[in-house]
Amino acid sequence: MASIKEIRTHIKSVEQTLKITNAMYLISSSNLRKARKQLSDVEPYFHKIETTISDILHHSPEIDHRFFDKRPDIPPERRKVGYIVITGDKGLAGAYNHNILKMAEERMAKTPNSYLFVVGQVGRSYFTERGIPIDGEFLYTAQNPNISRARDMSEVLMQLYLDGKLDEVYVLFTNMINSFRLEPTAYKILPLDPDVFPDYEENRDCYNRDVTYVPSVRAVMDRLVPGYLKGVLFGAMVESYCSEQNARMTAMKSSSDNARAMLQKLNLSYNRARQSAITQEITEVVGGAQAAESF
Amino acid sequence: MAQTSFYLEIITPERQFYIGPAHALVIPAVDGEMGIYPGHEPVVTAIEPGELRYENEGVWESAVVGSGFAEIKPDYVILLVGFAEHPEEVDRKRAEAAKLRAEERLRQKQSIQEYYHSKAALARAMARLKIGRH
Repeated sequence: MASIKEIRTHIKSVEQTLKITNAMYLISSSNLRKARKQLSDVEPYFHKIETTISDILHHSPEIDHRFFDKRPDIPPERRKVGYIVITGDKGLAGAYNHNILKMAEERMAKTPNSYLFVVGQVGRSYFTERGIPIDGEFLYTAQNPNISRARDMSEVLMQLYLDGKLDEVYVLFTNMINSFRLEPTAYKILPLDPDVFPDYEENRDCYNRDVTYVPSVRAVMDRLVPGYLKGVLFGAMVESYCSEQNARMTAMKSSSDNARAMLQKLNLSYNRARQSAITQEITEVVGGAQAAESF
Repeated sequence: MAQTSFYLEIITPERQFYIGPAHALVIPAVDGEMGIYPGHEPVVTAIEPGELRYENEGVWESAVVGSGFAEIKPDYVILLVGFAEHPEEVDRKRAEAAKLRAEERLRQKQSIQEYYHSKAALARAMARLKIGRH
């Protein structure tokens, strides 16, 4: 059995850890509340922008526009594919960062010409450590996603796409389906592909006429696509941030629970050790006294 | 049967600004203001920062909106814009300051990207100031 002193130091260290995990749990749960609110504000926009774009695309069979150019003449092995990977800024969030990074690596292994764009400190240090070059750095933290960051990011990517430096662009983020299911998701953002958008509710599709573009397809698309990209990136960042907080909260809750269970066990063995030490001492005293008496 | 109203949705990343019926709508489109009545032909258009007005039950409401786009159907109009504010929500002092800032930035040498950002900021500030005056 471990000595009393050993157990005591062990208890102390577990208590310290418990303090930290518990504090992190509280912080992430309050952050989560904030992030949830933002998410619920953004979600209708995100959802609407998706259905609207899909609606528009399904109603205009052929759009000849630079954002819709799939560049079919470029063979798969020479296609330059950009990945925006959204990770957290800190670890200790369960499998959150790991899952998205694993997905990014799998994806990158499949495409010979891949370019990496990373949001979040964890992803940055992970890829730098592995010696995988990061092509575009959005030197932003993943915290407090806001629209102007999304705008800056979408501008950079659009420019790269239009200059022919990228042929396809995906965003990899963690989708929060509900608080127990966080799913890493890859979403194609450029070029715009009508096939990516699923056909949705029939009731809105009752107008079989093609829509008119005022003043022209080009003018509308030139404004609509950047707005769409901005919206999608913003939505992805908010979704990821919310997932991160959720993952951290769950992880910290379970580690706090584990620490408490461990403390209980340690306390028990500490008390046992103390009791047995006392018993031993008494036995020794009594034994000593009896020896003195019989003398 | 002629429709007398259509369903209007004005949505921004921050909130759902207005969802409900409307009898008429005037939006700041790229090439000038555009009026919409029920039964409009299906149109997709882009929106510039500016003033938007909609009529419901004989009352005209106005709002300031940022850039975005609109999808118009005979009985349904959806507007996705960067921001939308009621006239009483507009902070004139802030808009004034933003306008000065943007003008100052435009005077300085800057990249094309920055130039566009300043122009957009100026347009937003001007739109806010225009409608906040009433």
